[in-house]
Amino acid sequence: MAIAWKPVEPSYKTYLQIIVLIDMSILALIAIGIYVFVPSTDWLPNPLWFGIPWAALTLFFGLFWASRRFQFTAYARSHEAMYLRRGALWRLTRAVPLNRIQHVEVRQGFIERMLGLAHLTLYTAGSGGADLSIPGLKLNDAEQMKATLVNTIAEEPIEESSHD
Amino acid sequence: MTELVWQRTPLLTIGFFIAKEVRNLVRNITNFIPVLAAIFVSNSEWLPYAVIGGYLVFIMVSAILNHRFFLYALADDAVHLRTGVFGKKSLTLKYERIQQAELDQSWYFRPFDLVILRVDSAGSAGKEVEIPGLPIGLAQDLRQRMLAQTNTNQAYSELAIADSEKTEPPADTEMTFSMSEIVRAGIMDNKIFVLLAVLIYPLSQTDVLEETLVPWLEANVSFIEESLWLNIGLAVAALSLLFILAIGVTLVRYYNLHFSILNERYQARSGLFTIRTVSFRYQKLQRVQLRQNLRGRLLKRFSVRVSQLQPSAHAQQQSGSSSFVLPVLTQNLVEELGNWLKLPRSANLDWQGISFIALLNPSFWIALIAPALALTAYANDIPLITGLISAALIWFAIQAYAIARWHNYGFTINNGWLAIKRGVFGRKENWYPLHKAQQIDVYQSPWLRLLGYADVLVHTAAGPEVIKYQPVSSALAMQREWSTMIGSNHQRWM
Repeated sequence: MAIAWKPVEPSYKTYLQIIVLIDMSILALIAIGIYVFVPSTDWLPNPLWFGIPWAALTLFFGLFWASRRFQFTAYARSHEAMYLRRGALWRLTRAVPLNRIQHVEVRQGFIERMLGLAHLTLYTAGSGGADLSIPGLKLNDAEQMKATLVNTIAEEPIEESSHD
Repeated sequence: MTELVWQRTPLLTIGFFIAKEVRNLVRNITNFIPVLAAIFVSNSEWLPYAVIGGYLVFIMVSAILNHRFFLYALADDAVHLRTGVFGKKSLTLKYERIQQAELDQSWYFRPFDLVILRVDSAGSAGKEVEIPGLPIGLAQDLRQRMLAQTNTNQAYSELAIADSEKTEPPADTEMTFSMSEIVRAGIMDNKIFVLLAVLIYPLSQTDVLEETLVPWLEANVSFIEESLWLNIGLAVAALSLLFILAIGVTLVRYYNLHFSILNERYQARSGLFTIRTVSFRYQKLQRVQLRQNLRGRLLKRFSVRVSQLQPSAHAQQQSGSSSFVLPVLTQNLVEELGNWLKLPRSANLDWQGISFIALLNPSFWIALIAPALALTAYANDIPLITGLISAALIWFAIQAYAIARWHNYGFTINNGWLAIKRGVFGRKENWYPLHKAQQIDVYQSPWLRLLGYADVLVHTAAGPEVIKYQPVSSALAMQREWSTMIGSNHQRWM
């Protein structure tokens, strides 16, 4: 049986593009700052040497990378586990068994709030940081998934066995 | 609930608090770089002494204050702690939430029959509590009680309390390691290079060597220069002295190593001056590491490390002192230990290698070495033939190593255990109870996607493990199968 992947909201692509724009404009501001405020810019090459790759990178990330990433990002829930796949060029498919979840969290960043998005994060004891973070969900959906997950975890039976 | 009786630790424990301050100093030594720089730059006569003196006073005062304000109370079901000089901290640790309770007999407490009780609780913060200076009898009682409470259900634990009022019951299995075994452990796990680095670093920072030692040697022992063999002999003698010193370090740590199993609780006690106890319960086992380095292979000995859940990065950093290690085991003992730990370890395990495609990427980078070396040799006026031959030899050695590495790598799944073996000169086997894994990843870089392969990452509570170069479809099938298996397994995992 194949995994029934569910795509994330289309506005996740917009979210990715905004992030790309913000990151790239920070880079641009730094470069502009150097050209404007450093007293002698003779040793620096023509600004176009930076400007053209910058524009190419912005287009690459904004158009190609964002849409590839959006296309590949999906999640699925089976009876036993939660699955997530993400990435554009480097791809990761992650599975977290439901009975290993320690806690669940819904988060909304500033940009996500403008787009009405949220992400749902599941934590396990496996690694230090966030373990499975599903981006690009509607806030309502995320809250609802969180509620169902928490219920499932709470009803988890534990065998008291000494022979494990 | 009875009234809490707040107690202060004995005056002797000031030593413990001083030691703690000193440990803090060592840990935060980088914070003092500005101060050291100031001392260095100012070039004043008195400043270093003032800083050192000031710090000593600070250590003494804060140790005394910390001792004054360290209060503990033992109730029937919990330990209460009140600490802190300015910021007060009040902590209650229920016995039933305690994961680990160990007794450390520090060398400065041993003559007085006092111990340090070290308690770990569950939870993501991984709180560790140390109560110094408890009388040994009381501490042993307390430890029994804490561990009994963590055992399964209430009825049983009350029974266990009644039990523990008496003495510790005899262990199921007991073993003491002889001195010669510990010396073997010292040879295997030799920290000679660490020792060397520790000694050389301060020497290299000062001019003692160039300004004092070398002229002195030249003046007084000029005969050294006359014989090459004497020089070599001296160097060898110095290294062997260090080697023996490093064995001494292991001896101090593992002297009189005593291993026992009691009610699925594995325990190891050892130490020459400070007696440390580490233990784990079988239920909490997350990983078994079997290791044998080159010296170990020559001595036919293994070392074993068992890891439990390490709740935080902080705990992982200090895992060196608290993880369960048996440093020297014979082949027979390893097999016996494997039986006790229920490892399905046998000669006819179905070790699976990985595809030879895995060699492609490293081989490509290794292949770049030879031309790079030959070019460097050519640029440095080394005869062409010599350059080419040595480049080819080095390339061959590294490539052979890569192939051996690939050849010796293997993984297997047997009776719910995932095992991975690797190593060219030394050998390493990691065993994980698969049903305790936390998450399973399938990872593909663009390169792997091109080839149609993927890496499988298994994150366990004791750290991640990677199985490289699996065909994509079988990697995804593995992920699916394992996560379903884990998700429908309701045994306790911690």
